[in-house]
Amino acid sequence: MKKLFTILAIITSILATLFAVLPISNLAIIPAIAALIFGLWAFYLSKKTGEVKKIIQFTFLLTIVALSITIFKAVFTTTEVAETKVLDTKETQLEEEAIEELEGLDLESEEFEDIDIE
Amino acid sequence: MRIILFLFALFSITISAQNTAIGTNEKLVYTASYNMSGILTDIAQVTMQTSPVKTSKATLLRLKCTAATFSKWDNFFKIRDLYESYVSPKTLTPYLYNRDINEGSYYKAMKYTFSHKTKTVKSVQTKRNNNVENKSNSIGNGTKDIVSTLYNIRLFDFENMSKGQRQSFTIIFDRKETKAQFTYLGKETISTAIGKKECYKLAIGSSESILQGSNSNLLWLTADANKIIVYGKFKIPVGNGELKIKSASGLKN
Repeated sequence: MKKLFTILAIITSILATLFAVLPISNLAIIPAIAALIFGLWAFYLSKKTGEVKKIIQFTFLLTIVALSITIFKAVFTTTEVAETKVLDTKETQLEEEAIEELEGLDLESEEFEDIDIE
Repeated sequence: MRIILFLFALFSITISAQNTAIGTNEKLVYTASYNMSGILTDIAQVTMQTSPVKTSKATLLRLKCTAATFSKWDNFFKIRDLYESYVSPKTLTPYLYNRDINEGSYYKAMKYTFSHKTKTVKSVQTKRNNNVENKSNSIGNGTKDIVSTLYNIRLFDFENMSKGQRQSFTIIFDRKETKAQFTYLGKETISTAIGKKECYKLAIGSSESILQGSNSNLLWLTADANKIIVYGKFKIPVGNGELKIKSASGLKN
């Protein structure tokens, strides 16, 4: 049982750390909580037998690091769109082409009567 | 892409109501979120913008929708999509439609030129390897492209609609006509980034399998003269997500 919880704590703490460094950092909370629960349980069982392995403490460390990164990212990272140069160029290019194309179209005049364009 | 698909799989309306809701310099900014293991994650920014476009014969309205992933996602999957429609400012009848999809290694461009007299649409499809394909499709009365139909939904008179009332419409997407419909579900007040708003709630359905489930795809439009979309919930084959308004400017009313 102790071995199982230790292994689960290791796996979930590694998962939490991986998620924390990726853009999906808010997903790290789920494995981090799981790692803490498994780690605490493994720690409790180890204490009972009188031998606490270093690896359990290491999973706690990993989980704390993962949670710190997640909190830091949630507080200080702003969600913004960067680098829209390609899109902006495309927009201008498409508008120019569209105007040319629209010049050659037979626009129904009744569709454009009494229009109030600001 | 999925957000755009959601938005664009929504509507095609067979109405020719007068435009009393859409301004000529309107800008609506949304945040699109995707549900990952039960946690909503902001993925992209969707912008819907209108602007007047002058030709020697007339002034048209350009309806433009763009989707761009937030910078933190750009290294994993970068999306820079553009959809636009050139319409009559009076009735939102489309004359020209452009779609430019740029998603990492995937590229696709589509252009429709509408001829309402002959009820045809000439399309030009371009793919990354410069593979150009021309086609002409016949369309039904009132068939519209995805962008103009998305704006067209705002021209409905929801005040005179009863709960559960349905409206069907046809859109042309990927050179194929698709039937879709919405059901008016009544009014609901919700909190948004632009304040607490009383909204018209709509359930969206499509004959295609893009949108899943009944009443799983919902839209909230402000119950005022502008009828702007402030919130959307969608369910697609690969998951579900949300679309939340971030800012609105240049509104007509």
